[in-house]
Amino acid sequence: MIRFLAMRLAAYVPTLFAISIILFLAINVAPGSAAQVSLGINATPEAIERFEREHGLDRPLYEQYVNWLYDVLQGDFGESLQSGAPVGPELLSRLYVTLELAILAFIIANLIAVPLGCLAAYHHQRPTDNAFILLATLMGSMPNFWLATLLILLLTVTLGWLPSGGYVPLAENPLENLRLMIMPALSLGVVSSALLLRIMRTGMLEVFSSDYIRTAVAKGAGQRVVIWRHALRNALIPYLTVGGVEFSLLFGGVVIIENIFLLPGVGQLALIGITQRDYPYLLASVLLIAVVVLTANLIVDILSAWLDPRVVRTAGGS
Amino acid sequence: MTLGFGLSRRGFGRLVGACLAAGAFALVASAAPQGALAQKVGGTLKLAFGHDAGDFDPAKAAYGMSHAVIEQVFSGLTALDADANPYPDIAESIDISDDGLVYTFHLRKGVNFHDGTPFTAEDVKFTFDRLKNPDTGYPYAVQLASLEETTVIDEHTVQMRLSVPTGPFLVNLAFPGSAIVSKSIVESGHDLGATPIGTGPFKFISYQPGTMTKFERNADYYEGDKPYIEAMEYRTIADETAITNALLSGVVDFSNAIAAKDWATVEANADLTKVPIEGGRWFWVGVNNQAEPLTSNLVRQAIAHAVDRQAIVDAVFYGLAKPIRGGVVPEWSWGHAADLKVFATGANPDKAKALLAEAGYPDGFDITFKIGTEWPPLMAMGPLIQANLAAVGINAQISTMGTAQWLDEVFTARDYHITDMYWLSPLADPDDFTTLNYQCENSMNFQGSCSEEMDALLDEARSATTLEARKDAYRRMQELSMEQMTLVPLVSALILHAHTDKLKGFKPMRTGFLKTLKDAWIEE
Repeated sequence: MIRFLAMRLAAYVPTLFAISIILFLAINVAPGSAAQVSLGINATPEAIERFEREHGLDRPLYEQYVNWLYDVLQGDFGESLQSGAPVGPELLSRLYVTLELAILAFIIANLIAVPLGCLAAYHHQRPTDNAFILLATLMGSMPNFWLATLLILLLTVTLGWLPSGGYVPLAENPLENLRLMIMPALSLGVVSSALLLRIMRTGMLEVFSSDYIRTAVAKGAGQRVVIWRHALRNALIPYLTVGGVEFSLLFGGVVIIENIFLLPGVGQLALIGITQRDYPYLLASVLLIAVVVLTANLIVDILSAWLDPRVVRTAGGS
Repeated sequence: MTLGFGLSRRGFGRLVGACLAAGAFALVASAAPQGALAQKVGGTLKLAFGHDAGDFDPAKAAYGMSHAVIEQVFSGLTALDADANPYPDIAESIDISDDGLVYTFHLRKGVNFHDGTPFTAEDVKFTFDRLKNPDTGYPYAVQLASLEETTVIDEHTVQMRLSVPTGPFLVNLAFPGSAIVSKSIVESGHDLGATPIGTGPFKFISYQPGTMTKFERNADYYEGDKPYIEAMEYRTIADETAITNALLSGVVDFSNAIAAKDWATVEANADLTKVPIEGGRWFWVGVNNQAEPLTSNLVRQAIAHAVDRQAIVDAVFYGLAKPIRGGVVPEWSWGHAADLKVFATGANPDKAKALLAEAGYPDGFDITFKIGTEWPPLMAMGPLIQANLAAVGINAQISTMGTAQWLDEVFTARDYHITDMYWLSPLADPDDFTTLNYQCENSMNFQGSCSEEMDALLDEARSATTLEARKDAYRRMQELSMEQMTLVPLVSALILHAHTDKLKGFKPMRTGFLKTLKDAWIEE
């Protein structure tokens, strides 16, 4: 188990390195100059030159990268090229927003996927099953930004029930926070529930066909007991793996949704970084997203190893 | 409190010459106290804008949204009223010498910066010396080109000496870039770019990138009880439909960035006050004057006649724009050349074809058409222009790109044939409408045109000492622009404001700026 963990952790750090290097290269290959965007169309060539000198953008790429990495390893994410504001605190304040959004969306996705998946499996190849499968296909094929637009059209423009966007911290006003979070969380959660529903259903079907369930049914255990006590626990193992991946996808997939609903999260910061060529923002936010994705995957790996020791054995860890 | 236009007799005469008097009278009228209406202090106003602000240092800020923040936090020697006429702001009165070369500013006394630092004549001198210093890299330095020297006369008097008479000088001083900063605050190493400190009606509280800027009322502001609004939030909402939704659902109370496509929806809402205004926002086709075959005046004229301006007005702006028939100075401005109607409102393919044949391209040619994706109207009019050009044999291949890439390829590298662009003149002055686009090597002149004749006319129009002479020079300048056709003017689009009907006393500005918010109040 320890060796298994060590291997997983050893892969973690190089992956982050690789991501940061690819990102650094991509930024510098993309057309557009940070100095020009920052200083505007009236900027003199001298001003552009000075800007690039001050921000070290005139240095060779590897030097820029090493400097950046050196600072990041000491916890300094640099300053915005546009406003000069430090990136670290900005990133941290946005992490809460995005985490809350991803967690809410994940809860919604599970609230849909677990019961519907179980029911679909239980009513295997009957109308209920077919209906849920159709529903999952519909939900899964909707782009989340399209669902977001539909929700705004219905709940804001037509019914006037919810504000179209904005953010109030949870601690400041929990109710208003929820009112603002519900549409973005739904847009993300509904779409991501589709895959989870299918996994739940398949997992349950597999378990249902196993001997111990037949035994449980044979000894006269009720439907509810069979589903919730005997089947669900075992069906949850594959579900958990996919669920972890879904969560990291949710966290990484917030860019568009945060922009539609005016949420000051990490995704929005990444977009600002791209459109305004504010590289420190872009690097920091993508790196943060990568850390969350990798961590979620790591936790899933550990959890599945713990739930099912066979995972460790196949990974050559025992 | 009434803000008088406290000019000396001599100065007043000079100003009449510079065509500012009408505005001065208008100002006295508009600033008359509305005390009978029981204005009260309080309330929060949430405003939506399509773009994000950046740097708040007046000497560094490059974008309109930064300027929109600066104008609330800082004061200028002058400010512009709703109709873009200048009036003394942190100056109490202004004397202008007979030769138009020496401006004496009598400054308000007892004014403090938001952190309590007293405002003095030294700050004015420091501000302009800083803007004139090439090391500062002030992006709008061209506005102050004729300013030779700023001298402190006493603690509350400053004199400026110009090299040539400059008609729009008082207008240029109202530009947010010319806002007065504190010498001691800047010299202490404080970064105004991140935390601006000024003497304006609102104090800067905070800025979150891509999200919002927060302001608080400056209770010590020098204009009587103004401002009345207790707090303001400038929200950044990048998507134009999201702006409308935010306005309709009460997430924000105010926007001057409403898309024309949504105007009918906004108009249908009974709780909103709608205030459209024609300002200085005009659109044009940028033509690379140095790329074959666009080097020919005739070819560029052909493009100008091929375009269906009315179709753009109808399809892109839902009727909320006006076709530009000739020169680019808009109808409401004194510099407008009313008789210069060169283009039909619709397309004139026959004339375009004849011009192409005359230029030696009877069968047309192939060009690229680069469009920035972040400006929806520019994207929308692209295919219309493309179809108009195709009708006369010009095959324009559209390629779209983000702003950063557009700046890189079109603006800096000039690697393009045609593009479309717009800007909102922040000064709404005839000089501002024309010089940046038409003068050799000027910032907005990315078409790469240069004509001595044009530059001479622009100089004449700027430095003539009587209104009639300036008007006449702009008339001839616009006439020449039609012959040279270095760029192809398209339409002038209305600036669409709407706000909660609880906001009272707000006057939209021709410049698209919001300095007049200091005069408005929120009724509960």
